[in-house]
Amino acid sequence: MKPFVEVCDLSLRFETNQKNIFSNINFELYQGETVLLLGPSGSGKSTLTSCLNGIFPRELDGEMDGDIFIDGRKVSDYKPGELSKKVGVVFQDPETQFCMLTVEDEVAFGLENIGVPHVEMEAKIDDVLSLVHLSEFKESNVSTLSGGQKQKLALACILALDPSLIILDEPTANLDPIATKDVIQTINMLKKKMSFGLIIIEHKLDGWTDLAERCLLLNRRGEIFYDGSLREAIRDQRLQLAEQGIWLPKISQYLLENNPELIDLPLTVEEFTEYPSKWGYIEQEKSKQNLPVQVNPILETRNLSWSAKKREIVKNVSLTFYEGEFVAIVGANGSGKTSLSRILAGIQKPDCGNTLLKGKPLNEWKESLLRQEIGYVFQNPEHQFITNSVYDEVAFSLKIKNISVEAIQDKVHLILEAFGLLELKDEHPFSISQGQKRRLSVATMIVDDQSFLLLDEPTFGQDANSNAELMHLLQQRHQSNSTIIMITHDMEIVDHYATRVIVINNGKVVADTPPDRLWEMDSRKLKEWQLELPVRVQIQNIYEKEKDAYYVFTTS
Amino acid sequence: MFLQRLNPSIKALTIMILVVLLAFIFEPMTPLLFLIWTVSITFIFGKVNFKKYALYFIPFVIFSFGMLWTSVVFADTPKNQDEIVVLLGMAYPRETLLTALALSIRVLNVAALSLLFVFTTNIVHFILSMMQQLRLPPKIAYAVLAGYRFLPMMRDEIKLIHDAHRIRGVNQAKTVTEKWNNYKRYSIPLLASAIRKAERTAIAMESKGFTGDKNRTFYRQFTVKKTDWLFPLIMLTGFLAALLAS
Repeated sequence: MKPFVEVCDLSLRFETNQKNIFSNINFELYQGETVLLLGPSGSGKSTLTSCLNGIFPRELDGEMDGDIFIDGRKVSDYKPGELSKKVGVVFQDPETQFCMLTVEDEVAFGLENIGVPHVEMEAKIDDVLSLVHLSEFKESNVSTLSGGQKQKLALACILALDPSLIILDEPTANLDPIATKDVIQTINMLKKKMSFGLIIIEHKLDGWTDLAERCLLLNRRGEIFYDGSLREAIRDQRLQLAEQGIWLPKISQYLLENNPELIDLPLTVEEFTEYPSKWGYIEQEKSKQNLPVQVNPILETRNLSWSAKKREIVKNVSLTFYEGEFVAIVGANGSGKTSLSRILAGIQKPDCGNTLLKGKPLNEWKESLLRQEIGYVFQNPEHQFITNSVYDEVAFSLKIKNISVEAIQDKVHLILEAFGLLELKDEHPFSISQGQKRRLSVATMIVDDQSFLLLDEPTFGQDANSNAELMHLLQQRHQSNSTIIMITHDMEIVDHYATRVIVINNGKVVADTPPDRLWEMDSRKLKEWQLELPVRVQIQNIYEKEKDAYYVFTTS
Repeated sequence: MFLQRLNPSIKALTIMILVVLLAFIFEPMTPLLFLIWTVSITFIFGKVNFKKYALYFIPFVIFSFGMLWTSVVFADTPKNQDEIVVLLGMAYPRETLLTALALSIRVLNVAALSLLFVFTTNIVHFILSMMQQLRLPPKIAYAVLAGYRFLPMMRDEIKLIHDAHRIRGVNQAKTVTEKWNNYKRYSIPLLASAIRKAERTAIAMESKGFTGDKNRTFYRQFTVKKTDWLFPLIMLTGFLAALLAS
């Protein structure tokens, strides 16, 4: 049997770059096969996608060597648009892959492109929408869908063209955990019904491991360093995986930290549950963090409420934040977390209630003085870059304060060094990598010794390495007695770093406790708030259950 | 409603022809009668919300009054200086006043025609119909459609960038120059993200098989039916009647 995809000695370089994005890529993929393509950010995964669906080399400013054969024909021999019937792609960003206003028009767009006759369209559209469970939204506006629904719509658009290969280019990177699960489930279900092949490009492996046995691993230089079973990769290539910043599934990662001697690792919690003792789990007490004493209140809010478009988004929130706390704010999408954080930072005025910073109401602070106290890091780091170089970016808030040039230089130098950005100080902030942008945005927010830092989902869409680096930096800040408030979906971070967790549901604070206390709460409540237990706690629970069962067995 | 169901291209063409025809009329009576005709058609066959219509009409009324005023005050010396009309205690040459009225009513008339179109046409349908009836290249049509989706996104983004800059300690702009400088600063991140978004959308469209080729099928088909010709007929009849009556 001939392979469906055959990539031979592929390398690619952009005109603006000295180095190749990737080189010597060789692999084959058979009809209906599923493969995971893993690699750190910047290893050329998305560029490879563009090569496979024929957009490169046609639209490429640069050089491409080597050949790709799809279904036995060279990609460059296909006419423009013809390949869309063979290869479909679901992209990362749910906002920018649509061009029509309503769901049905969007699905129809692809069908129109390949010239499906008018009479067959309606049936096809209904068909694919019901496959991804979006039938009831057929006439809805695309902009009213949630992120997860948009990704499912993107999938439906591709399915309508009936391709033999579907490439998922980090389809869940911009989604919260619940939507992520939903999308993965949908794909799982489709895969059982249909025979398309799949290339899954992802940062985080959780949930995908059931779908694919085989994986391709890329390193930073854009070379494939492993092609084979994922399980074996985790067993044999552990060092390299860690070096390249490729995430392991949460459970494997956790067990490995717990016991680095382990050779075989489970890939999912279910696998662990089946036979927990097989994995040589060593029960450990979580090293108890010293919870900071709540003595010096730094920020207090009283009865905050805020509504937009006649909907109450923040409802009667009264909170006190103390010096030296590491607070995680968690909750479902649209529960009002971001709005609350914006009010806390003084960017958004509440409709009623007030906020006191160090005992003085926010609106009585002079803007420039307020910004020396509070730092706020946006979800998208690009939004807050103002200048044309990394150095100026960090120096900016110092410069508007008329500090001497030497003093600024010293300070900026120190910060850039601590954040690993010193070599990039002359680069444009927009041209550095995603992880570096994130670190830069944090650096700009603490250069003025701000002791109160608010972050809106800082770990979104980053690879394991940049994530670890960022969390390490934040922890350092925390240890030097800064107060950190962080919105996050990642329960591992909450479990690992936070000293206090606040759960927001429908604009109200429904829980405000140390994390350990939260994990002990009624599981139905956690489900209602769309929270998952962190892996450590899941394992602990399973382990204890087994111990109990064993106990019952021996005593009866 | 009849106006809403009409083929958008036919509607647009009819209105364009009428605007051109109006440009040849230099006396106030014909446009006045035809204005009444247009507005009546809008409400009878379009069931347009009166309040909203009035709201959109107000700026045109102000503009046309300004037009009336300036053309009276800055008019050429009329040939026939003897005929004087006295209005609100002031005397005007009759000829000047009539030309000025003709001009300002023409403005109102063009406004009424445009509003008739805007209030009864779905923009997406209009673009689709232009592709199917007027041979608008799909490349342009879909670019416009995609851009149309982008506008609200850009608005949200400007607000975000504004907040982000505030956070960086950029003082709130008070003077016009400060505001201008602020917007200059916003433009780079805004453009950068717009370009990136546009690129992503383009790649997504291309990977769904879009080539800009004119040879495509349509989910929403727009055809010209016999009843579609009723609209130009009604409007042109109205125009002729107004012309004859004046």
